[in-house]
Amino acid sequence: MSKRSYDGVAKVFDYFAVGDMRRWGPSQRTLFKNLKGRILYIGIGTGQEIVNFPSGLNITAADLSFEMLKRSHKRVANYKGTINRCQMDAETTAFADNTFDTVVTVCVLCTVKQPMNCLQEIKRVLKPGGELVMFEHVLSKNPVYALPLKMMSYITEYLQGTYLDRNTVANVEKAGFKIHSHKNVYLDIVKALVARAD
Amino acid sequence: MNLKIADFFIGAFSGALVAGVVSYISPPFMPMLVGGLIGMVLILPLKIALMPFFGAFEVMIPLAIIGMTVGMGAGMLSTLDVNNIVIASGALTGLLVATIIHFSNKRYTAE
Repeated sequence: MSKRSYDGVAKVFDYFAVGDMRRWGPSQRTLFKNLKGRILYIGIGTGQEIVNFPSGLNITAADLSFEMLKRSHKRVANYKGTINRCQMDAETTAFADNTFDTVVTVCVLCTVKQPMNCLQEIKRVLKPGGELVMFEHVLSKNPVYALPLKMMSYITEYLQGTYLDRNTVANVEKAGFKIHSHKNVYLDIVKALVARAD
Repeated sequence: MNLKIADFFIGAFSGALVAGVVSYISPPFMPMLVGGLIGMVLILPLKIALMPFFGAFEVMIPLAIIGMTVGMGAGMLSTLDVNNIVIASGALTGLLVATIIHFSNKRYTAE
């Protein structure tokens, strides 16, 4: 999705994600409770997940859209820790190699145009042994659930720039990460994953 | 309202709605196929209306299944003059789909 259209989505982003945040809050808190070191949070959006981060972290947050970053201001200001925001494309960040101990993504690999490029970029900025912590939705392996996802993907791609038919787990492994923790949050569609670079 | 309880209400309500509309339209030809198509189309705006409040996937998956199956069933039954029974069976089917997905989710998340 282009920067301009992602800016447009920012206006309705919070409205469409209220239900998801109510459903996913506890799972995200569990996933994020062990975050440590210097953290890169890719795709901060309007900052809805910030409330689920433990306090006292040192976070660098990036997003493609300036409108999204603008709307995250209040949540960033309320966080009891450090969050520095910057406008960047997840596929081509400006960070040096081996900069971060942890990279966090929430519904990013379903939105970026080239997920493999994004994963390679994450691998580049992660320190050796660093962790990639992901809260992502993927295509179900169950055909009964996969069919509606494939059909709805055309609509969500148009409305929100989100693809519902991506095989993120396989992509992560293909990019050279090893999955250390894999938990289904809703069916086999919404997943909480922790991976490390091999 | 507890979101898990809401899932069952949404299932029953959307099933009854699809059955009621398909039964009211009463497709004049290929009722099963046309009923299924009407169900799938009808469920789209319902999904978009409910997703912000109840979660995207938790609404999208059951409603997609309910739209097609209840639409097809109601299309077949629409030739009979039993509107209330069609609506009730639509609600029951919706509830059944929501229940199956609830237990399927339990199995997946326990893995």
